[in-house]
Amino acid sequence: MSDPNNPIPEQDPVVHSSLSKPLYISAALLVLCTVWALYDEVYAMRPWKSYQSRFAALYSEYLKKITPVEEADETKVKASGEYKRMEQQMADLRAKLGPKMSEMEREINQVLTPKIIDLNNAYQVLRSEISALTYQIEVASSDSSKNSLRADIEEIKKRMESVSLPEPDGALKKYEYSYAKMEEDLAKWRERKTQLLDRLAETRKPIMELDEKMSRFVADRGPELSGSVLRGLRAKLDNWDISIRQIHVRDVDLVDRCESCHLGIREPVTITAADMNGERAFTSHPRKELLKIHDPERFGCSPCHNGNGIATSSVTKGHGRHKYWLWPLYYPENVQAGCQHCHVKEIVTEFATALNEGRELFRRRGCIGCHRYEAYDRDWEELVATGQTIRNLEQQRADYQREIGVSTRRADVAKENSEAQRLYQHADNLRIRISGIDSRIEQLDLRTSDLWKEVKKVGPNLKDVRLKLRKEWVPVWIKDPHAWRPGAKMPTFRLTEEEVRAISAFIWQSGVNGPLAKHPQGNAERGKEALETRGCLACHSIGEGSQQEGGDFAANLSRMGEKINYDYMVRWIDNPRQRTLPYDPHEKRDLTEEDYKKAGVPFVFDNEHTVSPVNGRQLLVQNMTTMPHMRLSIEEARDIATYLMTRKRASFSFPPAGFMDDPKLKDRGRFLVRHYGCAACHEIAGLEDEQRIGTELTKEGSKPLERLDFALLTHDAYKEGWYNHKGFFENKLKNPAVFDKGKEKTDPLERLKMPNFNLEKKEVDALTTFLLGSVESPLPPRYHYNPPGQKQDIIEGWWLVRKYNCMGCHQLLIGQETVFMKMKRYEDPDWKEQRPPSLIGEGARVNPGWLKEFLENPALSESNKDRNGVRTYLKARMPTFYFSDGELRKLVLFFEALSNQAQPFIPSRLDPITEQERLLARALFTSEGAPCLKCHATGDPAHDARATAPNFVTAGQRLKPGWTKRWLLDPAMMIPGTAMPSGLFAREGDRWVFAGPLPAGFQNYRKDHADLLVRYMFSFTPDELARMRSSARSGN
Amino acid sequence: MDWHQLWTILATPDNVPITLLLFVIPFYTWYGLRQSLANDRLIEKLEADPALAKTHHRKTQPYRPEWAREVHVWPYLLRIEFLAAIIVTIILFVWSIVLNAPLEEPANPTLTMNPSKAPWYFLGLQEMLVYFDPWMAGVVLPSLIIVGLMVIPYIDENPLGNGYYVYKQRKFAIWTFIFGFIILWVSMIIIGTMIRGPGWMWFWPGQTWDHNRLIFEVNRDLHEILGIRNRWVAFFLGGGATTLYLVGAAIGIHKLITLTPFSKKIYKRMSLLQYVTMQIFLITMLSLPVKMVLRLLFRIKYVWVTPWFNI
Repeated sequence: MSDPNNPIPEQDPVVHSSLSKPLYISAALLVLCTVWALYDEVYAMRPWKSYQSRFAALYSEYLKKITPVEEADETKVKASGEYKRMEQQMADLRAKLGPKMSEMEREINQVLTPKIIDLNNAYQVLRSEISALTYQIEVASSDSSKNSLRADIEEIKKRMESVSLPEPDGALKKYEYSYAKMEEDLAKWRERKTQLLDRLAETRKPIMELDEKMSRFVADRGPELSGSVLRGLRAKLDNWDISIRQIHVRDVDLVDRCESCHLGIREPVTITAADMNGERAFTSHPRKELLKIHDPERFGCSPCHNGNGIATSSVTKGHGRHKYWLWPLYYPENVQAGCQHCHVKEIVTEFATALNEGRELFRRRGCIGCHRYEAYDRDWEELVATGQTIRNLEQQRADYQREIGVSTRRADVAKENSEAQRLYQHADNLRIRISGIDSRIEQLDLRTSDLWKEVKKVGPNLKDVRLKLRKEWVPVWIKDPHAWRPGAKMPTFRLTEEEVRAISAFIWQSGVNGPLAKHPQGNAERGKEALETRGCLACHSIGEGSQQEGGDFAANLSRMGEKINYDYMVRWIDNPRQRTLPYDPHEKRDLTEEDYKKAGVPFVFDNEHTVSPVNGRQLLVQNMTTMPHMRLSIEEARDIATYLMTRKRASFSFPPAGFMDDPKLKDRGRFLVRHYGCAACHEIAGLEDEQRIGTELTKEGSKPLERLDFALLTHDAYKEGWYNHKGFFENKLKNPAVFDKGKEKTDPLERLKMPNFNLEKKEVDALTTFLLGSVESPLPPRYHYNPPGQKQDIIEGWWLVRKYNCMGCHQLLIGQETVFMKMKRYEDPDWKEQRPPSLIGEGARVNPGWLKEFLENPALSESNKDRNGVRTYLKARMPTFYFSDGELRKLVLFFEALSNQAQPFIPSRLDPITEQERLLARALFTSEGAPCLKCHATGDPAHDARATAPNFVTAGQRLKPGWTKRWLLDPAMMIPGTAMPSGLFAREGDRWVFAGPLPAGFQNYRKDHADLLVRYMFSFTPDELARMRSSARSGN
Repeated sequence: MDWHQLWTILATPDNVPITLLLFVIPFYTWYGLRQSLANDRLIEKLEADPALAKTHHRKTQPYRPEWAREVHVWPYLLRIEFLAAIIVTIILFVWSIVLNAPLEEPANPTLTMNPSKAPWYFLGLQEMLVYFDPWMAGVVLPSLIIVGLMVIPYIDENPLGNGYYVYKQRKFAIWTFIFGFIILWVSMIIIGTMIRGPGWMWFWPGQTWDHNRLIFEVNRDLHEILGIRNRWVAFFLGGGATTLYLVGAAIGIHKLITLTPFSKKIYKRMSLLQYVTMQIFLITMLSLPVKMVLRLLFRIKYVWVTPWFNI
């Protein structure tokens, strides 16, 4: 009990010990915690407050800095003579109209208004009294009480009220008023006031107009923002209110508080980080035009940029860079992924260059071969669906047929007459139905033939390998295409030596043998020139490394000579769509001459002969390549082929490949080709109907992260901060095998199949952007860009423009560069004229009917195809793409829609041209002063050799008159840098007059000269052309 | 040793209470037992010295005869409680400022999280699912736990130990509690929180929770291990084994209850109904660790397989 170390205290510790010290400490701690909690609540959890005060300080400082600069600009403008003149004018006007206006203003403000107000007050008192009595009349039950109430009202109306009204001098004067008199006076004065106001406005009008003119003058010439706007902004900052700035779109439950920190986003001033002391949070939106299209009040911020719009407690949370936030803010390199959320159906979206690049890579590099993506490759899907529908219809037809037989037989033995009649009737009805089915099948067949024209493969047709390639080259290429040709479209697969051999052998042995004409050698020199000027380089490139020139749409041709067979090359250049044998999708094989012979039909298959001799179905008659028919002469094709055969390295050799004829390898090869999905991009015999082997990517960006297999890199990714969609996509694209790292896979077939595309950083970013944006959007469908009418035509059209690489030759978007613009040769002023025409505004320029004809047959001639239809002087050739009807329709609608042309096109009626006017116009055309015929072709071969503009003969069918006139007046407005001179016409009163020296006879011509020329051109005939030519010659 | 992983598990806001449990439960168990043992000693002394028993005041140590035998609640108790209230408030303040509510991503019906864990207070139940079939672990045992807690006052009529800590007078009750709550329930919560990783696999502390991890672990029913194919033989074998356990456990528990003269006294005071009820609950409780051992060490899935339930 008595522990020496722990002696018993004298006093009872329970009673006598003091708790004040611990109480004091804990109370103090509690107070501290309360303060901490308050600080946390008010400040620490609301970092946006400090952002706001910082912004207000920095921004007002910045505004103070720029105001004098901007105002100085403004003062400069105001000091100009013209402005001074306007100011003088203003002063004169004010002096002249001032007294009149102030007289009217005085009457309104000092005489009428006070009187009206005072009288109205008295009148309202009476009126409410009467109204109350009227209500009582309405609810009163007996007639007698109604009558007495009516009498009361009459009494009131008779009563004379004394009202004091102000006199113009301010003194009050008493008047006696009855109710009726009040009404009368009020009406009278009000009318007078309205009259005066109208007159006042009328008088003031010239002053207002001048004032507006003056401020427009300043706005047009002065700084971006006027001094008054800047002062307004500064006043706003003086009364700065620190509060949450929130966008709330009620119907989509969108709450974005981004602007609580990003306060400069919507400011009218352009703010850069440098202006704000380096604080990037305060910049204004870098693409203000995008905010104009997507009003932030309706779209918010996070639907495009992602991030957590509600979170305000920290930057990390607001940006959603958080393990549990599924939609983290996009990094700058992927910011356009946001466009894809809603612009899902497009391949080209304006402003979204990186995203467009990603979409295009996805298509062009063949990603779409293995990975389905909605909106891509619709023609294949439609083809499959159409085939299925046809089969279903045929089945139905057969069923009906059988039912007709059954019905008829039952009718034959029916006991009742009415029963027999009903059954016969049923059979007849079915016959009508069958005829309906037949017509549907016919339509579907037509569509199928269309679709067979539309479907394309990313890679070449491998059925032709035996005719086309050097045998030893095949395994070298398959092993590593990028080693042989850097930047090749075909990716490098992870193949073992044995697999390379088996695949090569299968490919080689599955190739078809067919007729291939022999060709003599051409001239390589001429071939080189042709290759460089005919337009081949709009898609293909040639030369390696820094020597490389041309487009990247199709293959680099530098080492063609090492791999290709000359005769095949000639056939290919002559017409790449030419197949060796037609493919019958029903028989699932290539038809041979035998099949045609058996059916007794000549062995001809082309776009006019598409029917199978075996089963009457549509055949695939052309190669599934986008490469068009250039319509070159066979000699020129030989020249180009000969030139390409010279393109090879000085010493090249391939190891012998005898194994490729080993039939034992074929089965293994076929298995591997299917395993690696080669048929996704290539047409391979026997594998025409292969399915895609990859995962669908339409919604890949919102696939749960757990479903993306980071494999053994999961923990590294987590620690290194790339355990997210962006990290997965980037690493996978950079090195598709990366997630096999460390995995024990004894069988090479177990390894990840995706091949390496050796993408550049920029390409990886573009594709990542595309994939990140491919999400299941939480926004309702009406936010998706799915416009009606012409905008839809534009969406559809871009798919075709991309598919056939129209932009390799033509400019379609403002600011877009074609391959021709980048080629050295075409920088020379003489060669600039040789660039293919810009198609900006094409829909406004040409008649859609003509455009369809032209796209179908760009030679615009049945006899001579080796020419350009319009610009005969161009060396570059507009090729024949063999568009399907559907594609033609889409393209024409696309161009019309791009230029906002009404559909369908109805040509405007032009005044007929009189004979006298024709003479005048011809004289003007051929006069010395008008330079028309210097450039425009006339059909005279000697002249046309120097011509650099189209012949007028086509103008009538080709152009739209309105456009033609605008073009004549100011061509540089439409196509800056065009050779067509501007300023040919001058405005004179309400008409345009030719600005140069006028030929005789024009003195008395009072009509518009530009109109005259348009009407002349639209009534142009070949005869007239001849007359014009001869008059030009005599004139010269 | 993956410290990062260990830290992630311990510091997840959701797991902080469990991390605290690791320290707090042993501490209070020790603290309570210390007081109980001190009281035991005092009881012994007072029993030996009736004079002292008359004057001794409320505390075990220290003691002075002139001190008041009893003191008022106000202020002597309440001021301490007030202090405690302040300290608890401070802790709650700091906790709520420093740790935010553990919100995660929105639920996705097409994607089950892995590991998919119940709230921490249910992790013991979830862990039981490893050892019993869902019907037993999910329905029968939880119901028995609740009913068992409810019957405690009807079984335990021992008035001693009310209002003060004591060990000697309540040995059986204390050990039952330590075994049932601390060893079984709390440790299962801790296992569920800290040991069970992706795929509900067993990860020792410091092991990386690897989603790709694969382990070779085949659990088989008792009759399969013995190579019995016949359904009936298997049924009776399982039934026999279970009965064997029941009888064995009942005998063992009986031995325990009648181990000391003191507990024998209590046993004698119990009615048959009370005794049987207690036996049932204790046997059931014991079945959990037994099954855990069978499952974890011998890879036995079920001992007794019937069409209605599995044990």
